[in-house]
Amino acid sequence: MNARILVIDDDPALAEMMGIVLRAEEYDVAFCADGARALDAFHAERPDLVLLDVMLPGLDGVEVCSRIREESGVPIIMLTAKTDTIDVVAGLEAGADDYVAKPFNTKELIARIRTRLRPVTRPSSDIVRIGDLELDVVGHEVRRGDTRIGLTPLEFELLLALALKPEQVFTREMLLDQVWGYQYKADTRLVNVHVQRLRAKIEEDPDNPKLVMTVRGVGYRAGS
Amino acid sequence: MHVLRWLDPRGWWRRIARLWRSSLALRTITMTVVLSAVAVVGVGIAIDLSIRQSLLDDRRDQLVTLSQSATVSAQRFFDASAGQPNPDVDAILYEGVRAAATAAATTSDATSYALLPAPGQTLPGEFAELAAPVLDGVVDEVVSPAMRAAVDADTEGRVHSQSTGIPRADGVLSPAIVTGSTVEIQGVRYELYLVYDITDTQQTLSTIQFALAGAGLAIILLIGAVTLLVVRLVVGPVHVAAQTSRRLAAGELDVRLPVKGDDVLATLARSFNGMAESLRGQITRLAELSTVQQRFVSDVSHELRTPLTTIRLAGDVLRDRTDRFDPETARTVELLHTQIQRFEELLSDLLEMSRFDAGAVEMEVDRVNLARLAEDTVAGMTALAESRGSELVLIAEGGHFEAEIDARRIRRIVMNLIGNAIDHGEGRPIEVWVDSDAHAAAIAVRDYGVGIAVEDLERVFDRFWRADPSRQRTTGGSGLGLAISLEDAALHGGWLEAWSAPGEGSCFRLTVPRRRGDVLRGSPLALPPDAESESIARTAPTPTQDAEREGAR
Repeated sequence: MNARILVIDDDPALAEMMGIVLRAEEYDVAFCADGARALDAFHAERPDLVLLDVMLPGLDGVEVCSRIREESGVPIIMLTAKTDTIDVVAGLEAGADDYVAKPFNTKELIARIRTRLRPVTRPSSDIVRIGDLELDVVGHEVRRGDTRIGLTPLEFELLLALALKPEQVFTREMLLDQVWGYQYKADTRLVNVHVQRLRAKIEEDPDNPKLVMTVRGVGYRAGS
Repeated sequence: MHVLRWLDPRGWWRRIARLWRSSLALRTITMTVVLSAVAVVGVGIAIDLSIRQSLLDDRRDQLVTLSQSATVSAQRFFDASAGQPNPDVDAILYEGVRAAATAAATTSDATSYALLPAPGQTLPGEFAELAAPVLDGVVDEVVSPAMRAAVDADTEGRVHSQSTGIPRADGVLSPAIVTGSTVEIQGVRYELYLVYDITDTQQTLSTIQFALAGAGLAIILLIGAVTLLVVRLVVGPVHVAAQTSRRLAAGELDVRLPVKGDDVLATLARSFNGMAESLRGQITRLAELSTVQQRFVSDVSHELRTPLTTIRLAGDVLRDRTDRFDPETARTVELLHTQIQRFEELLSDLLEMSRFDAGAVEMEVDRVNLARLAEDTVAGMTALAESRGSELVLIAEGGHFEAEIDARRIRRIVMNLIGNAIDHGEGRPIEVWVDSDAHAAAIAVRDYGVGIAVEDLERVFDRFWRADPSRQRTTGGSGLGLAISLEDAALHGGWLEAWSAPGEGSCFRLTVPRRRGDVLRGSPLALPPDAESESIARTAPTPTQDAEREGAR
C-alpha cells in the first residue's frame, strides 16, 4: 500500500504541482488549503506524513503543527518561505520533524519525505536499554519501568541512534546524516531543537540531563 | 602605576593645559582676576606710597618744630649757667641736654639724645661726648657723617632732620627720625642730636597697609565671583546647547533646548530647536522610507518564493521527461532549468542583502580553523576550476589559524572570491593564500587574469556592478556576490580589499580579527601576497625554466 501524504498549502498551483510530483513517486496525496480545516483533513485522511506550509490562512502553520503533534507522532515536514531563524525554530519547537525551505526542488522534497517514511533500522536485539529506559524496537515503544513514554518516530529514532552506540559521541552532523538523512552540511538547529524536545519527554530533570548528554563543542552521547 | 602617573608633574601640566584649552569659564575668570589684580596692586602701591609720604612728612615737620624749641630752651639753660662761678661743665651739659630731651619728649618713649662737640675745637673739660644710654656706642650709626657735616656747616642754627634707625637689642632697627642743631656753651660749639623713635607711626602705616591689602584682596575675589556669575549666565546656556547637540548627534532626536526670556540666548535656543525639529522630521521620513523599501524588497523576495517553487517543480518534471521531447523542446527545457536556478540564486542573494540592510542578520560564531576551511572550500571548487583550465593552489603556512568566525559566512566569501577568480582567471593558475598572526587571520585569492581597470577597482563591491558588460559570463552570479561578501566581512569586523593591475591579474584579501570584537590593525598577508614577503618556501621557477619558457615563445 502506498504511503499517504497530506499537503496543507494555500497556494493552489504549488499544491497541485506537489501533487503531480508526489504521485509520480507513487504516493497517495490529499490536499487541504485552509489552516482552520487542516485538523479535520488530518482526521479524515489519516496520512502517513504531513507537508505543512508555515503561512496559512485561518490557522497559522506553527499552530496547526503543534495541534497535530498533540494527538499524533506522524512525521511533519514544514514548507517555509522564510529561512530566518525565528520561523524555523518556531516550527521545529512546535514539533515539526524537518523543514524544506522554498524554493525547493523535486529531489530535495522527495529525499526529505523518503527519510521520514523509511522503516527504522533494525538492531540485532529487540530491546535496547539506555539508563533506566527500555526501548522496544519492534513495538516502537519506550518504557520507564511500567510507564510508557510517547515519542514521535523521529524522537524514537534519535534516541535509538544514541542508545545503540553508548560509547560513541555523535556530532550534530552525524545525527543529521543518520536520523534526518542529510549527507551534506545542513541546519544543526534541527538537532538542537529535537534534543531539547526529547529531553523534555524522557529526562527526570531536563535542565540536568542524564540520558542524552551534551559533549561540549562536539555533540551528544548516551548517558550511562 | 596609577599613583605614579598622578605624581608626574608633566602629567599635571598636561592636565592643566587641557583644562585651560577646554574651559572657556576658566580662561575668562583667570584673565579677569589676573588683570584686576594687577590694577588693584598698582592702585594699592600708589595709595600706600602717598600715605606713607604724608604721614612721615607730617611727623618730621612736627618733630623739627619740637626740636627747635628744645634747642632754644637748652641754649637758654646753658646761657644762664654761664654766669655761675666754677661751673662743673659736665654737669651743666648733662642737665641742659636732659632738659632739652624732656622738652622734646613726644610719647611715652623717652627721646634719645646725643651731644657731640663740633670738630676742630679745644674742649674746656674732659668732656668728649654725651649720649643717652640707648645710643651708647652707636651714635655714629644713628647719626650719619653726612648729617654731621650738614649740621656743622650750618651757621644759622637751623634744625636738620633725617630718617634713621635705632639698633635694638634683638638686632632689628626701630624706625626713627634724628634732628640735629648746634648749641654754644662757654664759647664751645656742640652739636645736639635728638633721636625720636617713630615706631608708633610705622605701626599706623602698617595697619593702613594691612587694611589696604585686605580691601584689595576682597575686591579681587569679588571681581572673580562676579565674573564667574556672568560666565555662568552666558556660558551655561552655551554649554547646555553643546551638550544637547551632542545628544542630538548621538541619535536622541527628541532633545530640545529650554527657551527662557527674549534675549540672544533665547534666540539661539529657538533656532537650535527649529533645526532639531526639521532634522528629526527629515530623519524620520528617511527612516520610514528606508524601512518601507527594505520591507518591500524582503516581501517581494518572500512572495516570489512560492511561485518560484511551483515553477521549479514544474521544470524538474519537464526535465525528467526530456527524452520524450524533440531536440529543440529538450534544449528549451534545459534552458528553462538553468535559468530557474539562476533566478533562485538571485532571489536568495537579494533576500540576504535585504537582511543586511535591515540589520536583521545573526551570526553563529565558532572557533574555526581557517586553513582547514580554505582547504575544504578549495577542494570543493577544484573540479570547477579544472573544467575552466585553472589550477587551484592552496598556500598556507602553519600558525594561529583558529579564529572566532561564522564559518558559513566566511566559506561563502571564499567561495565567491574563488568563483570570481575562476571566471576572470583566463585559465591561469589561481592561488589561495592563508596566513595569520596573533591578532588576525587572512585569506587572499590571487588570479593572473586580465585584471581590473583602476577606475573600476573601487566599484567592484557595488551592487549589481559588472566588470565588463560585454564580457561573456559563464558561471553567472547575481551581481551581489562581492557586496554580500563585503557585508559578511564587515559583520566580523574584518576587511575585504581588492588589488589589481591590468594584465597581471587581481587579488582579493579577506582579513578578520581572530578574537570576536577585536579591532584590526593590519593583515598578516600582503596585498597581493608574494612568496618573498610571506617567507614561504615555494618551488619557485628556476632561471633555466624561465629561459626555456622564453625560448618557447
